[in-house]
Amino acid sequence: MSKLQLTETPYWITIAHLPKWRTEQKNRLIVKIFHEKKSNLEEFFSLTQSEWKKDFGLSDSQSHSLEKARAEIPNNSFYAEDLISQGFEIIPINSKKFSNTLKRNLKVKYTPPVIYAKGNKQLLLEDSIAIVGSRKASKISLEFTDNIAKKASKEYKVVVSGFAKGIDRQALDSALKYGGQSIIVLPQGITTFKSGFKKYYKEIVQGNLLILSTFHPKAKWSVGLAMARNPIIYGLANEIYVAESSEKGGTWEGVQDGLKKGRTIYVRYPNPKEKNANLVLIQKGAIGVDFNGNKGINGSCLTLEEANQSASVLTKKEAKLDNNNLFDLLKENALSSKEIIKQLQLDWPTRKMTFYLKKLENVEVLKSKPLKFKLRT
Amino acid sequence: MRRTQAETKLQTTFKLARFYDIQWYVIEKIFNGERVLLIEKTGFGKSLCYQFPATQFSGTTVIFSPLIALMRDQVNKLQELGINAKCINSNQTSEENEQIIEEAKNNRIKILYIAPERMENAEWLQATQTMNLSMVVVDEAHCISVWGHDFRPAFRRIISLVNLLPQDFPVLATTATATKRVEEDIKKQIGKNISSYRGNLIRSNLRLWVVHVNSEDEKMIWLGKNLSKIPGSGIIYTGTRVNTQIYSNWFEYLKINSTFYHGGLDATTRQRVEKGLINNHYKCVVSTNALGMGIDKPDIRFIIHTQIPVSPIHYYQEIGRAGRDGQPSNIILFYNKKDDNALPLTFINGGRPSIGKYQKVINVLKLQRLGRNGVVKETDIKQTQVNVILSDLIEQGIVNKVSKYYEYKFDAPKLNTKPFEALRTAKQADFAKMVEYTETKSCRMKFLCDFLGDDFPTLCKVCDNDRGKRLGVSVSEAWKKKLTAFRESDFPDLEVESKTSNIVNGVAASYYGVSNVGQALYNSKYQNGGDFPNWLLKLTLKAFRKHYGKEKFDVVLYIPPTESGNLVKNFAQKIAKVLKFPISDGLKKTRVTAAQKIFQTGLLKRDNVKNAFTYEDTNDLVGKSVLLIDDIYDSGATIKEVGRCLTKLGAIKIAPLIIAKTVGGDI
Repeated sequence: MSKLQLTETPYWITIAHLPKWRTEQKNRLIVKIFHEKKSNLEEFFSLTQSEWKKDFGLSDSQSHSLEKARAEIPNNSFYAEDLISQGFEIIPINSKKFSNTLKRNLKVKYTPPVIYAKGNKQLLLEDSIAIVGSRKASKISLEFTDNIAKKASKEYKVVVSGFAKGIDRQALDSALKYGGQSIIVLPQGITTFKSGFKKYYKEIVQGNLLILSTFHPKAKWSVGLAMARNPIIYGLANEIYVAESSEKGGTWEGVQDGLKKGRTIYVRYPNPKEKNANLVLIQKGAIGVDFNGNKGINGSCLTLEEANQSASVLTKKEAKLDNNNLFDLLKENALSSKEIIKQLQLDWPTRKMTFYLKKLENVEVLKSKPLKFKLRT
Repeated sequence: MRRTQAETKLQTTFKLARFYDIQWYVIEKIFNGERVLLIEKTGFGKSLCYQFPATQFSGTTVIFSPLIALMRDQVNKLQELGINAKCINSNQTSEENEQIIEEAKNNRIKILYIAPERMENAEWLQATQTMNLSMVVVDEAHCISVWGHDFRPAFRRIISLVNLLPQDFPVLATTATATKRVEEDIKKQIGKNISSYRGNLIRSNLRLWVVHVNSEDEKMIWLGKNLSKIPGSGIIYTGTRVNTQIYSNWFEYLKINSTFYHGGLDATTRQRVEKGLINNHYKCVVSTNALGMGIDKPDIRFIIHTQIPVSPIHYYQEIGRAGRDGQPSNIILFYNKKDDNALPLTFINGGRPSIGKYQKVINVLKLQRLGRNGVVKETDIKQTQVNVILSDLIEQGIVNKVSKYYEYKFDAPKLNTKPFEALRTAKQADFAKMVEYTETKSCRMKFLCDFLGDDFPTLCKVCDNDRGKRLGVSVSEAWKKKLTAFRESDFPDLEVESKTSNIVNGVAASYYGVSNVGQALYNSKYQNGGDFPNWLLKLTLKAFRKHYGKEKFDVVLYIPPTESGNLVKNFAQKIAKVLKFPISDGLKKTRVTAAQKIFQTGLLKRDNVKNAFTYEDTNDLVGKSVLLIDDIYDSGATIKEVGRCLTKLGAIKIAPLIIAKTVGGDI
């Protein structure tokens, strides 16, 4: 890292964790500062609130929260020094070391402004695959994972995984076993991963492993962070392999999210008697692959049609919404988006539903938490 | 703020009428959010340059200071003025420190003094996340430069910190001793447009003398004759820890009230001596350079060096502790050009471990992360050297310290030895300057100030050269005899007592390496010189009488040999015969041990002899007192191990009697 970039570290920490700012807003501001104004963070933070509003088009509340953040920069200087002295690296989105794959996949909307990392950060720039799947995975899924990791390692591809039990851990261990390289994307702040750094000390020293996190370094593990971590895994990988998914949980949500973002996702064809949702995912647009990760459908696998059929048995959910059903439902009750999705057995994210309902003129929005909707009378 | 406004506030808060121009010059810059380095001599009023702005800022000013005693004094003075100042340091209990951190978090402290080492403390780092920070001060800023006289690795993190602080965040660095080179280095490291101001460093009340001698004996005799005639009380600096004791014993022998001091003493003893010095309980304290920094005694009337320091800047710093009250003080340097260069040159040339040792440390850290003691054990490199190596490896970005573990960094740069060589060359040049100081025929104060980069056009008019009055030594037969008599009655103590063992502190007949005893032992052990000579027996018996008096022992035991045959056994038999105590050959080794001297570290020496001893009749020692004999005492690991073993077997007292104690490990 150049000296200028290093001295900007406290500012990056400040920007990355601005409370109540969405990732996109932070990134737009960064783009404005560096590309449009050809400036830097130190200069930006030496401006007055009115200059922020005038030159950067920031709102009152935005410049107010930036003003609060500005007062904390000396505190973040202490914090940055502590992180750096412990060998953590803070890689800002505008650095050459930042993963282009991640930026390409997550775009300005979702790319985290800062990556905290320890290990061989060159791995961020290599060709990569992600292998994901359930925490409680079957033997065949673990073997598939081992096989894909082996293949990836032979082809000098970095294996990205999330350090969860089951498939994730298998992906990591196999990559290292076959002399490959791996990236762990943590579901927590990087300084809370103490035992992990001890366990993988040698792999880090030898340059075969990079451990990274996009959350505040002190953030503790939580379900929310584990979910938020999945898009980062997908985003860091050029190819995504799913060994096994159930019909809910991190893998399921992650694949949905990936498909929605237009990613190509490879899902292992299950054997006929397996109880998992792999076929459902294939039906939803993921690409089925055999034990070796090949797309071609061979004898041991189901045909795509068969896959579709059994998938439709597994799910009764509909992707299309009939407005008549919706209005019928809202005639009687005020319901939240989540409740509506459940009642109509739809496969929509809650936010999509909320957004959709807000646009309908004959639907009234009731102020509550969560928002409820009713048909206008 | 205008100066007049500020001075009005100065009167109400600090009860001072006005600032010096230099003080105001610095304060204005601080209010402006600038970075400043201030070089001014002790007593100038450097601290007001940050204390005043600190009282005007809304948040907390953090002062990094390595000197606990000075911190305490400053805090007391500020509190008397009603300013909320506190300090966090290792001399306070952790509860006290936590309490202060809590106050700081709540923005209730204006001025917070803190030791640089605290930057590794998790609670403190936690607190820095929520404090309202207004300014950072680096006190004793010369400690950040390897070119200075007192480089401290703990300051490295402070430099990293100030580099990360915003451009407009005020930072003040202060020091009383910095050459031009150190000044430039500090400015470079603190960076961000720092400006510096250098004051005048002359101390016109210090009377500088140099006494040329031909031997250690001449120094001791000169001091024996003249010390009482020098007015007031003061400090005598020696080069080694063992010499502090020898000189102090010599003065005691001559009935001159003195004591000794060095970094190896426990905290309580050190504090007792410091207090005694401040309250003029001693004519002099004989010390290594560990004493003085941070001792707030305005009337130290003399400072005498029996050993030439490694550079003029060290010397200036050490003599600067005298005469802070401005009254005349005598500064004397003894120099024996034949022998006295050896010690400084050892420090300079052997100051850094060999490159092979660096590589050894790197190699073990590539395999596993280790704590400091882990590195010592895995490499068998001395702890002091391991400290130097680890510090250099961190400095070069090869190793990180993560809580108490050292981690090798992936993709670390190769070890760069060029800075070590450059530093050694610079130190050699500095030492040559120091020798030049002893030989100069012109003003000595001007010589020192010139070295520091001070513009000092006149003469001090009080040094030996300016006054044309020189000191010399004349040695009479009577004094020679006195010194010999002292030497034959000065027996080093062996501190081996512990709570879990019945061993008591013992005595050695002499120091190995200071007298002719070492040579005699060497002849017998390695040159087939036969039994230890009879005069050694006499000397050892004298040591016994002085230390143990007429005490009777139930049995004499001796340490079974590793390599030198029956020398110790024969010697112990003679001792037992004279003292009329029974002797036993029953102490045996349970296994072959390696010679202790091949191990570099105390930890490995201890491991080498652990559970290595036994006694043939396990019931024989119950309730008995033992006189334990050996030839050489080094780390004490063997004696202590035997002490533990005999305690287990029921011995009620184990009293060591040794021929010679080494001084090597004690420097």
